[in-house]
Amino acid sequence: MENKEIIPDYRIDMQGEPCPYPAINTLEAMKELNDGEILEIISDCPQSINNIPVDAKNHGYKVLLIDSDGPTIRYILQK
Amino acid sequence: MEFLLNFRKTLSRFWSPIPAVIALGVLSAYYFGITGTYWAVTGEFTRWGGHFLQLFGVDVSTWGYYKLMSIEGNIFTRVDGVMIIGMFAGCIAAAFWGNNVKFRLPLNNIRIWQALIGGIIAGFGARLGMGCNLASFFTGIPQFSFHAWVFTAFMMVGVYFGVKVALHPFFQSKIKMQKVSCAKPLEHNEDKVEKFFTFGTFIFIAIMLWALYLIFILNSPKLGMAMLFGAAFGLIIAKAQICFTSAFRDIFTTGRSELAIAIIIGMAVATLGVFTYLNMGAAPKIFWTGPNVVIGGLLFGFGIVIAGGCECGWMYRAVEGQVHFWIVGVGNIIGATLLAFVWDDISEPLATSWPKINLLESFGQYGGLVANYGLLFLFFIVILILEKKYLRKSRNR
Repeated sequence: MENKEIIPDYRIDMQGEPCPYPAINTLEAMKELNDGEILEIISDCPQSINNIPVDAKNHGYKVLLIDSDGPTIRYILQK
Repeated sequence: MEFLLNFRKTLSRFWSPIPAVIALGVLSAYYFGITGTYWAVTGEFTRWGGHFLQLFGVDVSTWGYYKLMSIEGNIFTRVDGVMIIGMFAGCIAAAFWGNNVKFRLPLNNIRIWQALIGGIIAGFGARLGMGCNLASFFTGIPQFSFHAWVFTAFMMVGVYFGVKVALHPFFQSKIKMQKVSCAKPLEHNEDKVEKFFTFGTFIFIAIMLWALYLIFILNSPKLGMAMLFGAAFGLIIAKAQICFTSAFRDIFTTGRSELAIAIIIGMAVATLGVFTYLNMGAAPKIFWTGPNVVIGGLLFGFGIVIAGGCECGWMYRAVEGQVHFWIVGVGNIIGATLLAFVWDDISEPLATSWPKINLLESFGQYGGLVANYGLLFLFFIVILILEKKYLRKSRNR
């Protein structure tokens, strides 16, 4: 899963926030990105595993990476 | 060896929520067939509140609600009680197998109050409406009890208003994105992963042995089976991170409806299973369709969104170390106990003087079956419309 080559342009670290806030802030943040830019989302709300990737696809963003090996999950999305 | 490794991987990764919910539908129908009761949790939480009051010498045996819920015995002797023990064990095994345990503190006081107040409102509303997302929804609708449908309709309205409040700038997360030039390193400790996995296996084996002990040594097969089912329910909701709250809330927050639709499929499967058992003579669980269900549904829907999780969702999150959901759980028990406290003053006008509507009696046996599927289909259409509405609005923004 680990792909060291992806370098994000922005990060939003949502650790400590329960759902739905990680998903909501992710979508808000993605709106501010330019096409092609990459956002890294860090969340320790495990339920976000069912939210963030699905929302990203529904809103037309690309999911580049999901690292869910531990309690803190990393998502990398591209606009 | 490779098989074992793959199996281990399956136990540690997250499971896909859609097949998981359908599996829950199947299991819940068998659970009813074997134990004679439906999969439910809040009734037992209410009894815990009663036992807590008993510690201080309060005589709850005269309270109407505890007569209704029969508070005799304790968590180890009641079907609901041992099922919940099994559920907690399943959740713990899932969390430790998945290296998903971390002490997570709420970020600020707003979240703490949200968890407590939301939990109390949801607990109160659930018991007023005779069940939570389970007994008045996921396992209530397949019982053909019309109260569950009314509860569900008003729960959706409550969820809508809950979302309005939860998305108010006061509650919104203040975290903003930052410009960065590299990915953030995440802690990864193989030693810890190993230890956690072993602990998860230990808990899982322990609960299996306990259940077998109940079945074969204590000759209480019903209790043992309830515990095994509980472990399966807990394992599935935790591994697939099933959140009934999110299923409905997120139609309004981000326009996501996959889980809501999966839940409808799960109920469609359970309906057929429960119908079969009822045909064979099992007694259905039917409750009053009165104002209690309207008010209960509204409060419950509102409360679960404010709290961020419902009566069954807090369980797996609590064992993952999310302190927020310890507070939600306590709130649920307080709310349910408050309802039991006021029940004797409000039950007649709000609930017990109203009819218990069993769709299988109102529309005839097969008429009722068709009516339940008709309502499930209608529910499905409503969800699609709400989703479309959100997406149209978000595009126009």
